[in-house]
Amino acid sequence: MNEPRDTTANTPDSADELRPLSALVDGELSDAERSALLERLGHDPAAAARVAHYRSQNTALRRLFPLAGETASLFVQRRTPWWQLGAAIAGGLALGLMLAITLPAQLLPGGFGQPAFAQRADLAYAVYAPERRHPVEVTVREEAHLLSWLSARLKRAVTAPSLGEYGYALVGGRLLPGESGPAAQFMYQNSTGKRLTLYISPYSSREISLRLLHNGASRTAYWANHGMGYALSGTDNEPRLRAIAADACTALGGDAGAWSG
Amino acid sequence: MSFESDLLVWLPHLRRYARALTRDPAWADDLVQDTLERALSKWRWGRGGNLRAWLLTLLRHRFIDQLRSRREVAFDDEEAPWQQQPAATGEVDGLLLRDVERALYRLPLEQREVLLLIALEELSYQEAAKVLKVPVGTVMSRLSRARERMRILLTEPAADATPGRPPLKVVKHSP
Repeated sequence: MNEPRDTTANTPDSADELRPLSALVDGELSDAERSALLERLGHDPAAAARVAHYRSQNTALRRLFPLAGETASLFVQRRTPWWQLGAAIAGGLALGLMLAITLPAQLLPGGFGQPAFAQRADLAYAVYAPERRHPVEVTVREEAHLLSWLSARLKRAVTAPSLGEYGYALVGGRLLPGESGPAAQFMYQNSTGKRLTLYISPYSSREISLRLLHNGASRTAYWANHGMGYALSGTDNEPRLRAIAADACTALGGDAGAWSG
Repeated sequence: MSFESDLLVWLPHLRRYARALTRDPAWADDLVQDTLERALSKWRWGRGGNLRAWLLTLLRHRFIDQLRSRREVAFDDEEAPWQQQPAATGEVDGLLLRDVERALYRLPLEQREVLLLIALEELSYQEAAKVLKVPVGTVMSRLSRARERMRILLTEPAADATPGRPPLKVVKHSP
């Protein structure tokens, strides 16, 4: 790497004189060194100005790069989980903790009788739907890859139904840790930027007719059949969400006609 | 507290450092994700020491590996991702953040990383030496050069003028 020697040649001060100024700014001097240096700065306006400039640089750098709270878009898996049950468990742990620090507390306990996948879908909506930079891991531009990847991870064919009839276009999708393995989330968006997600996860406990989960501004409509749980989350009103869910269910090979309202 | 929750404590810091280092949010996110994956796979129960320094070390190794694969990265390259980012606005003590940002990316990488570790992440010299795997004395001299270079770039307009030739490219030697 090239060192800009030319600039140090321009400065009268030797490196040995400058280093303590930095150490003062960083609190790396002993008390004795510190007092001696402060004493010296009283008679050396140029050095005092340097210290002030260095401090301003620090403040400016911290202002330039604020600590962001938007950690929820990261999803990590252990790569060598030989002593764990599976990569998804670790991923789930990490994501769960992220959710725990990201989401309002009232979302976490959940209601009685709701399957975990519906709650996870609801949480995942709350985390990813507002995400501006990384709403999805793989965008619809690579739709074929997206579907084959998610199908491979969920170990069954996963498709993203068309919701164009409701004004929603597919944005892309991501892999998430589900209750008992990987889960998929597809993200849709309409022309006003409103988002809808479809969460798909293995769920073999029982079949569930359409039900609703309501948290704050968003709703999640969920159902389960053929060993899979599905959850649609969005801010549409209830009748519309039910209608979208019925269409999605049919498109995904389920029998929405069996739902008794 | 579990290892995962300790990791999460440092996640925003890792992310900030990666962004500052690369000036490219997408690259930074890749780096952080890679770092966390590595951390999760390499970590063993009973591993002591400074978790944050270790994470930063992992991140830095990934960064340097990737920098090599994106060889010849010139920091005033118009194609470079940070040229596509909107410039910072605002000022601190009379320093325009936009100028501070520009000066930062004109530093040679080894100066920039030490400056960010200490001025931004507030590591001690000892910790920075550990992350960078260099003696504390080297940390001090690089840091001092970095700050002085920043000061010159920010106070002497001539130092920033680049008529005809870009003087401060960060050029990695091809292997």
